[in-house]
Amino acid sequence: MSYQSSKQSASQAAELGPAGASRVAVDLKEVTKTYHTGPIEVPALRGVSLRIASGEFVATAGPSGSGKTTLLNIIGGLDRADSGEVWVAGHDLQRLSLSELARLRLNRIGFVFQTYNLLPVLSALENAEFTLLLQGVPASQRRERVEKLFLEIGLDGLENRRPAELSGGQQQRVAVARAMVTEPALILADEPTANLDSASAIALLDVMEHLNRTTGTTFIFSTHDPQVMERAHRLIRLRDGQIVSDETRESRQPQITTTKTAG
Amino acid sequence: MTALALGLGLALLLISSGLLDGGHEQTVADGVRLGPGDVVIQAKGYQDSGTPDLLLTAAVLTSVKQFLQTPPTKAILRGMSARLLATGLLNSATNASSVAIVGVIPQDERSVSLIPERMVEGTYLDSNKAPGVVIGIELARKLGVKVGSKVVLMTQAVRKSAAADKASTGGEMKSTLLRVSGVFRTGLQPIDAGVIDLPLSVAQTLLGAEDHQVTQIAVVLEREGDSPMVADRLRERLAGQPVEVLTWRESMPMLAQILRLDHSFNYVMNVVVLTMVGLGILNTILMRVLERRYEFGVCAALGLRPLQLATMIIGESLALTSISLALGLALGLGMNHYFATTGLDFRWIFGHSLPPALVFDPILYSRLSASRITSSVTVVFVMATLISLYPALKAARTELPDSLKVL
Repeated sequence: MSYQSSKQSASQAAELGPAGASRVAVDLKEVTKTYHTGPIEVPALRGVSLRIASGEFVATAGPSGSGKTTLLNIIGGLDRADSGEVWVAGHDLQRLSLSELARLRLNRIGFVFQTYNLLPVLSALENAEFTLLLQGVPASQRRERVEKLFLEIGLDGLENRRPAELSGGQQQRVAVARAMVTEPALILADEPTANLDSASAIALLDVMEHLNRTTGTTFIFSTHDPQVMERAHRLIRLRDGQIVSDETRESRQPQITTTKTAG
Repeated sequence: MTALALGLGLALLLISSGLLDGGHEQTVADGVRLGPGDVVIQAKGYQDSGTPDLLLTAAVLTSVKQFLQTPPTKAILRGMSARLLATGLLNSATNASSVAIVGVIPQDERSVSLIPERMVEGTYLDSNKAPGVVIGIELARKLGVKVGSKVVLMTQAVRKSAAADKASTGGEMKSTLLRVSGVFRTGLQPIDAGVIDLPLSVAQTLLGAEDHQVTQIAVVLEREGDSPMVADRLRERLAGQPVEVLTWRESMPMLAQILRLDHSFNYVMNVVVLTMVGLGILNTILMRVLERRYEFGVCAALGLRPLQLATMIIGESLALTSISLALGLALGLGMNHYFATTGLDFRWIFGHSLPPALVFDPILYSRLSASRITSSVTVVFVMATLISLYPALKAARTELPDSLKVL
């Protein structure tokens, strides 16, 4: 299925998608992923099924090697599942080409990485507007949108600084701004607070939660951090590539709950 | 460094091309001026047989002169000289040597030949009547003569025609006394040891030829490149006449062949230089792509498509190439300007042991045509673009999510 046809069917998928439900942001069915290191096979996901509704603020937790990052990578189209179905914003990711996946990431998904992954040669503002640049948004609009967002998340005045001139918390907020500025339907954050001190982590969570509440953007993040888990409205625990628990913390959040936990 | 390497590659290409073309131009210019000119008109069959009896008719001589004095040929003409050629034996009081006799009209020959410019003793012929002779320095040494010495030239009279021959002196041995008026040195041993110039009228009298009879008409043009055009027009004009019109490539095939060989060798050298530069650039760009794997991974994760990544690399490479070409052009043209005006003095490199075989003038002047610059720039540009394709492909294949790992 091409991205275009996939895009055309997006509305249908939203209405008649695999779950047959509206406002499904993510829908996974029996997803497996195994990494091969020479002759050694390392199973990362073992038949994970999961459904996340639009506007949820979800945390995935679990020990190292439990499959959190793999799960986010597969949802974000950065990696392919070996089997199963992966539906994101109405698109069957398993059927999309690399280009179509890239376009989907650009227009529908935002990423916040554990190591920030800012481009060191660009300023904070240039990093944040990078995705808008890829979308072909005119420079004046890019600047306006980024400056507005910077003001909102406390980065105003730091526009011209390079990543090396920013603290970890500031860099991660730039990464959040980069993820948010295109107004994606879904933001994936892989251990966003792992490299931050407590105060910075809380500040970042405040920003993310605020954006979630005000824009309705779906957030899925992985974490080891108990205080992050506490802030999540829904907590999915993974172990050995399987979902072992799925708790909803806030009544307003889940419109669609997990259909199945593997294992 | 990559831009510098590519720029140096282009500069080297321009400098070597300029010196080679300059050397060839100089060689050809000297060659035609010591030989039969850019275009030569002679009796049919003379090129192959060299028979001195094959002479041009008065009608041909008149027709050629008229043609050369009319536009557009007049504008591109440097000079023409009618020559009577024969072989003979030059005797001095102490020695004798076989020589190639060239009967010339001195004022015409001055505009065509290099010999008048290469006099080392005495002066060149200044009159068509006086029985003077100029000889090469090696011949002078062999005969033990100097300016003012008397020499005796012996040769066989020409056979003007079969009918006239019965009543003429055709084929008889004849001799004349000449006085050495000058000694020249061209640097070419066969010429310095075996060619003598004497006034045409003296040569005609000696050889028993009539006033209008000459062996060949040497034409020297301002630009060697016009030779084929002028030769073609002369062929048209002289169609039906028993003559052959040859460009220097046809009249001096050995020289043309040597230059072709030299060109081929230079092309091979250029390919070697460009390949080495190209491999260096490929290595640099590829290393940069590998070093930027993380950056490309981030871009790809944020939504940059593989084709866009490849285009980005090619675009960067083109920008780098453009800077390199500007550097290379500045350096290459600058050096060429120096070599075109000051020249490359081989005496400084080789001392006095310079082999005279190809380079007549020890100072080599660079000549770089617009087409040569265009072709060099195009070659380097195309090469750099092609070289960037593999790294671009490599970048397009940046694997997610592995490339996002911070090393």
